[in-house]
Amino acid sequence: MATKEFLAVPSVGGPARVPPSGALARNRELLTELVRRDVKARYRGSALGVLWSLLNPLLFMAVYTVVFSVLLAAVYPGGVPAAAYILTGLLVWNFFSQAVSFATSSVLSNSGLVRKVAFPWVLLTVSSVTAALVNYVISLVLLIPIYIIFHLPVGLPMLLLPVLVVIPYVLALGVGLLLAAGNVFFRDLEHLVQVGLLVWLYLTPIVYPPNLVAQHDHGLGGHVFSLFFKFNPMTWVIGAMENVVTRGLWPIHWHGLVYAAFVAAVLLALGIVVFQRARRRFAEEV
Amino acid sequence: MGAPSAIEVRGVRKRFRIYHQRNQTLKQTLVNRGRGSYEEFWAVRDVSCTIPPGSTLGIIGANGSGKSTLLKCIAGILVPDAGSVKVRGRLAALLEIGSGFHPEYSGRENIYLNGALLGLPRRYIQSVFAEIVAFSELERFIDNPVKTYSSGQYMRLGFSVAVHLDPDVLLIDEVLAVGDQAFQRRCLDRIDQLKAQGRTIVFVSHGLGAVRDLCDTALWMDHGVARALGPTERVVGEYIAKVNQMEAARLEQEMTSHPILPGGRAGVGITEISYVGRDGPTALFETGDPFELRIAYTAPVPLEGARFYVSFVREDGVVALTVPTDDRLLHDKVLPAQGMARLVIPRLPLLEGLFRVTVGIAEIATGEWYTLLDRIYPFRVNTTDRAERGVALLGQSWSLPPPLRRRLSA
Repeated sequence: MATKEFLAVPSVGGPARVPPSGALARNRELLTELVRRDVKARYRGSALGVLWSLLNPLLFMAVYTVVFSVLLAAVYPGGVPAAAYILTGLLVWNFFSQAVSFATSSVLSNSGLVRKVAFPWVLLTVSSVTAALVNYVISLVLLIPIYIIFHLPVGLPMLLLPVLVVIPYVLALGVGLLLAAGNVFFRDLEHLVQVGLLVWLYLTPIVYPPNLVAQHDHGLGGHVFSLFFKFNPMTWVIGAMENVVTRGLWPIHWHGLVYAAFVAAVLLALGIVVFQRARRRFAEEV
Repeated sequence: MGAPSAIEVRGVRKRFRIYHQRNQTLKQTLVNRGRGSYEEFWAVRDVSCTIPPGSTLGIIGANGSGKSTLLKCIAGILVPDAGSVKVRGRLAALLEIGSGFHPEYSGRENIYLNGALLGLPRRYIQSVFAEIVAFSELERFIDNPVKTYSSGQYMRLGFSVAVHLDPDVLLIDEVLAVGDQAFQRRCLDRIDQLKAQGRTIVFVSHGLGAVRDLCDTALWMDHGVARALGPTERVVGEYIAKVNQMEAARLEQEMTSHPILPGGRAGVGITEISYVGRDGPTALFETGDPFELRIAYTAPVPLEGARFYVSFVREDGVVALTVPTDDRLLHDKVLPAQGMARLVIPRLPLLEGLFRVTVGIAEIATGEWYTLLDRIYPFRVNTTDRAERGVALLGQSWSLPPPLRRRLSA
């Protein structure tokens, strides 16, 4: 053995042992840190911070209310005020579209980590969707003044809210995992996703009432649109959310909600499978 | 040996695609019909090794030999195309210092984030937080964003988190090669502690000294193949022998391809320089070998009052010895117009390193150079089977109290 030049100093004690913990607990810790990072990063960049994330849906609510309710004289289900209907839908949609678009770039934008640090990279995508969820939950405070101003009913159906939050979360995660993996190999996917989300927004009854589609269900265009409308899981998520939040009702279209949950579960399973297959080549591709 | 191995690598192969033209967008892929043309390159071909718990493996080899690729396969960052890797226990890989840092975050926040990335629970980091900060000597800056850190501070913070890791298996890639001496020492101390506690460490390095000091087993990678695996001294020895052989060939080439053009002030010049060892001219010496430096010079008329000058400079700039001829003896002597000066060292005391000589001839009366060749011709000194380190032997010896008795062997 070679002599040690300067290592001969007797070592006193040593680092304390880390308490043993399962992979699950460690991943939860890491996910918490990553979500913390993602949430902070979102607010740290802009001067207005949290305020801006609340102002944004209010501004859009105002614009859409003027366009659809005042100019186009749309009537919303149950005679609910346009502003209440639109804001409720927008908050859900903002959450979903933020979650999907952040998830899409989650792996590629952390290429430094993926190349150098071994950890379950799927947590990058989970964390970006979860960070959007945190924003969403914060943004729900906007509903409080809406409840007060429009005297919206409060009732038992509100117990369903957690489910109505979980379904779009799972859906966004499933779609996000597929897109995150795809974006590593095709880097223009990010931009296509932005366009896609904008189209999807208008295919979902968020700013206009759902009966508008039924009224125009004729001609080829109308048929295609109403087909999209029916198969779009977000239609049913938003619909149920509107029932619960703006009218204090249990969801009218239960079957639609079950369908949305089913689609979300299938997409999540598919997303996990595709992501785990693709991740074998992430470190080489990013 | 009933204990299960800490790391088991079996027949691992990893292939990379080297793209000539790479289509990284959907648009390009559709237009060019495909992901692009590429060549396959096997970075690791069929490597197997078993590392028992508590041992330290050093992976050595030239650049591009597949060391880092193998390490990334063990870390699970790369997935091998064939073969399998099994790691028992909690693994932490440290492939680049501070790679998990977020520039906008303060040092404090980054310690937590980086710790979490390396698999440490927040509660544990809290308990060693003060220690990490103290180790990094960044107490005053810990709440500033790391983008304001100097590269040294950045590195120290990364090191500190890293050496406070507490994994069963620790993978380290080259990271100890950076940082200032004092800090590097503390890191090595820390790794030694981990080693003493029975953690398994895999260490990729170009620094053979560090591998020798830290590792009990070494793996020599050569063009993706494991050339040798075994006790560090043996493997490092084989590796050095191979490198020396290649370097000797290179040095020899350099020797013959650089004839000296005579020509200096007043027509005095050096025509040839050679190193002579036990078996004739060479550029490769062993500490303790006979050594001779021959300087052939030429002048238009006999040299009056000339001083010869030689200086040995190690590659890192350390001057091991500067030795002029004695002016008192030579100031009134006349030397032949052509001749050879020899500097003889019966037992070369220089220790391992690559050395060059600076050779000159000056006029004693004025002190002006006739000719001066600065740091020409490298020669290598190897130190094998000796424990001494440094620039040169000092003719030293130890004196200890007389032994009471011989220790009973265990």
